[in-house]
This record gives sequence, structure tokens and C-alpha cells, in this order.
Amino acid sequence: MQDDLNPLRASAPAQTAPSVAPVPWRWVGERGLRVETGEATLGCYAALAAKRFRELEDVVPADGSILLVLRRGARPSPELLAGLAVTRAAAEPAPATLHEIAVTYGGAAGPDLPALARRAGLDEAAYIRLHADAEYTVAFLGFQPGFPYLRGLPERLHAPRRSSPRAAVAAGSVAVGGAYAGIYPAAGPGGWHVIGRAAVSLFDPGREPPALMRAGDRVRFVPA
Amino acid sequence: MIEVLRAGVCDLVMDRGRPGHAALGVPAGGAADPDALAAANRLVGNPDDAAGLEITLAGPRLRFPAGGVAAITGARFAARFGSGGQVAWNETLLIAPGDTLDVGAAQDGCRCWLAAQGGIAVPAVMGSRSTFLPAGFGGHAGRALKRGDVLALGGERHPVRRLRADPPAIDVASPLRLVAGPQSAWFDDRGLAALFAGSYRVAPTSDRRGVRLNGPAVTHARAELPSQGVLPGAVQVPPDGQPIVLGWDGPVTGGYPVVGAVITADLPRLAQLRPGDALRFSTVDVAVARALATGEWSIEEAV
Repeated sequence: MQDDLNPLRASAPAQTAPSVAPVPWRWVGERGLRVETGEATLGCYAALAAKRFRELEDVVPADGSILLVLRRGARPSPELLAGLAVTRAAAEPAPATLHEIAVTYGGAAGPDLPALARRAGLDEAAYIRLHADAEYTVAFLGFQPGFPYLRGLPERLHAPRRSSPRAAVAAGSVAVGGAYAGIYPAAGPGGWHVIGRAAVSLFDPGREPPALMRAGDRVRFVPA
Repeated sequence: MIEVLRAGVCDLVMDRGRPGHAALGVPAGGAADPDALAAANRLVGNPDDAAGLEITLAGPRLRFPAGGVAAITGARFAARFGSGGQVAWNETLLIAPGDTLDVGAAQDGCRCWLAAQGGIAVPAVMGSRSTFLPAGFGGHAGRALKRGDVLALGGERHPVRRLRADPPAIDVASPLRLVAGPQSAWFDDRGLAALFAGSYRVAPTSDRRGVRLNGPAVTHARAELPSQGVLPGAVQVPPDGQPIVLGWDGPVTGGYPVVGAVITADLPRLAQLRPGDALRFSTVDVAVARALATGEWSIEEAV
């Protein structure tokens, strides 16, 4: 009975296919495989998505890992497990699009800019320059449909998320959360610091493709 | 055609969902118990993937001006026909022209699924007719039904076979089964003991995005991790230790540690939990979970 209180300790080690270089992965339920991909995430994602393994229903890139979602009742094939190791070694990201996004910084469009600039020890103009001079990469989309997690925020501008989320963040809000920059596709609650707003449609389910950006794309912010 | 004379708490047009778009931030969604919706569809002669209604806690009053063929599966509601008859569950229902169906309040459980012959004819969005409420698309205008809505039915009328479905047995008292991981090793002994020995209650703020639980705190060493892909059933534990079981319209990525995920076979039970309900957790290994994952309804001619 004591063991029953702690049933997870002995289970779920990193599992690997036998005859290939080990790739750490873990179960998420019986349908999810969380694969550690680290710096190679975008390349692995492109390679795995292109291979269209029949047992997979979805492939979800995230921050340094990929979730493979198996079809209900399916098991991972030896080809899939072998493919993980190969793609991790040889993965090349898919060709990327560069998006230039015009931003109205500060004021009503960016209510958190003054506080964030102070935190970074900069005046607002210098903060904006630093934010707009950087080139960002879409690490993955999540949180809301089409919401890009943008890597490349200068370290000086990193800021922990707001201690309490805002009840309403406007669509198009350009925001900072931890080490990430992002843009809210739709209005709603949000815990990131809002520094500006862009007039851009990031997600439209009636459009093909529905999301403006995809993982691996590059982004530059242009002060409007 | 179906006219909505009175809307329920949250009546949503649902089919089997739109898997394959998580990389765009869009979850698969779809009926919380896809087998129950599929069974309702079969009872009216529809393909499994036709759109029906997912009805939560208290249902709508619907009018069928031209009559029709319908079926309801899932939790029992206090449903009645306007013409006076009681409404049988898990059976083909023949509805006379002009009759009304008042689905009423849930008697036990939380959700039921109503299929109508022809299926609810709303446009497919990203490959599915399911409503995705958090972003307001799919289903009927991207929202729950309102009084005055009119739902068109698709397809042609075809002869009706009266059928009866036999749902798989569900033991509501047994614990929800989890497959451990991926961050189970981050949790300390006290936290894991709390999770597996404790009883949790469903918080009123629960919805299709997540079932929030209140109970013994599930303590862990690290509060946040880089965002990882998650799926329905994943049990996220925020710093306050109160677990959240991600639902069908939950986010596709999350930054809280995941102690385990409810197995596919137990997601229909998750769908029937209502605020205030108590539940417990246990673990099971992947092979067992996979073997249980394709539960079948049996459907036969009604006598």
C-alpha cells in the first residue's frame, strides 16, 4: 500500500527504441510522446511533419520539445522511433517567411511600456529601439490560435509575467512574457506585459493557411 | 430543420473535432465523448462524423417543424416531448411534425449528445463542424445556441430503422486512471501521496478548456518549465498545487508540470463530472491504457 502512494517513482523512465541512438521521450497519456528536441526543435518538427507517419494524428512543436499525438489505440511504430533519432541528427528547418509588423508603441496601445522601460533601465525610446532592432524567430504557436512565441527578445528586455493577468488585452497587442515576445491574435485575458499594438490578422479560420505565422518564421517589428 | 425555442446552459454543435492543427495553436476539440455522439448518429442513420448537439447541465427546448428522427446518448436529462411522451435514451426517436423536445436538466452526469437525421448542417471550418468557443469559430456562428436560432439539417431523408444502443459500462465510483509523466519525477512524495490518496472536487470554474480541481495540494519542486505540448486529459499542476485536468478545448501548449494524463478510456467520465463532484486518481500503464482506448458501443435493432 505504501507503494501505491508513490506509484510514479519507478515508472516512466526515458524510453528509447533499441537499435538507434537514444532520443529521450516520455509518455503524455497513452497517446502523447513528448520528445526532447532542444535546439533542433524546428528542424525535427519540419522533418516529422513531412514524413506523415500513419499512426500520428498531430505533431506539436513547443519550447525545446515536440509532442507527437498518436491516433487513438495506435502504438508508435519502430520506424517512428528510429525516425526520431535520425531527424534529430540531420534536421534542417523548413524555409522561413520574414514578417515585418508595424507597431504603435506605448500610450493606450502599450500600457506596460513605461514600467518595462524603467525595469530595463531605459527610456521609452531606447526600449523601443532595442525591441525593434532585434530579429525574432517563431518558436511555436500556442496559448491562442495563431499566437506566436517569439524567440530573440534582447536579454535586457526579459521580464517575468504580470503577477495578475489583465482581464482584457486587445487583439494585436504586442507583448513581452519572460524571455519571449508575442502578439495576441484575439482579444481576451492575458498575463504578458503589453507594450504596443499591431494592426495585423494573425489568425482567421476561414483563411488558408489560417495562421499568418508558422514555427520557424522570422519577425521584425517596425515602429509605426 | 430545428428551431431553438429556449437555449440551454451551453448547447454546442459538435462533431468529432479537427485534429491536426495543434501547430497553429488550435486544439482538436470535438465532442467530449466522441463515441457517445457517434452512437447517437448511428441511431438516426448518420455517419459517425455528422454534427450533433453537445448539451451541458440543462438543455434547450427544440421544435421540429417538419418532424424528424433523433437520438440522445450520454447523461440522462429530464427530457420530455411537447406531445407528452417521455424521451428514451440510446434509442431512435421518431418526432412528429411540429412536436417539441424539451431536454430539461441533467439527472446525473453533465453532458448528453443529440443527433438528428441528416446531421446539423453548419459550414465546416478547418475541416470540422465543431464549435471552438474560446476563439469563437466553428459550429453555429462560433457560439452556443441562443433562443431563436434555426438549425438546418443536411442530407436526404431516408427510411428509418429503429435501433437501440447499449453504452459501455462506466463505473462512476472508480478512480480516474492516469498514465504517469512526463514530469512526474518533479513531484515530491508528499505531493504524489496527496494526489493518489486524496479526494478532489470539481470547481465551478471548470469548462471544456479544463476541469479545475480543489483538494489536497500536489506539491512539486519546480513551478514552471518551458512550454510543452499537452493534450486533453493532461493533469497540469500550477504552483498552488490544485490540479487542472485539461479539457477538449484546452490549450495545445502549457508551462506547468504535468504529473500524468487521464487515459482515453476515462475521458468520457471526465466529460460527465459536474461542479462539486468528487473524484480520485489512480495509475495504469500505457499498454493497459491503449488496450482500453477503443471502447465500443453495441447497437442493434430495437424490438
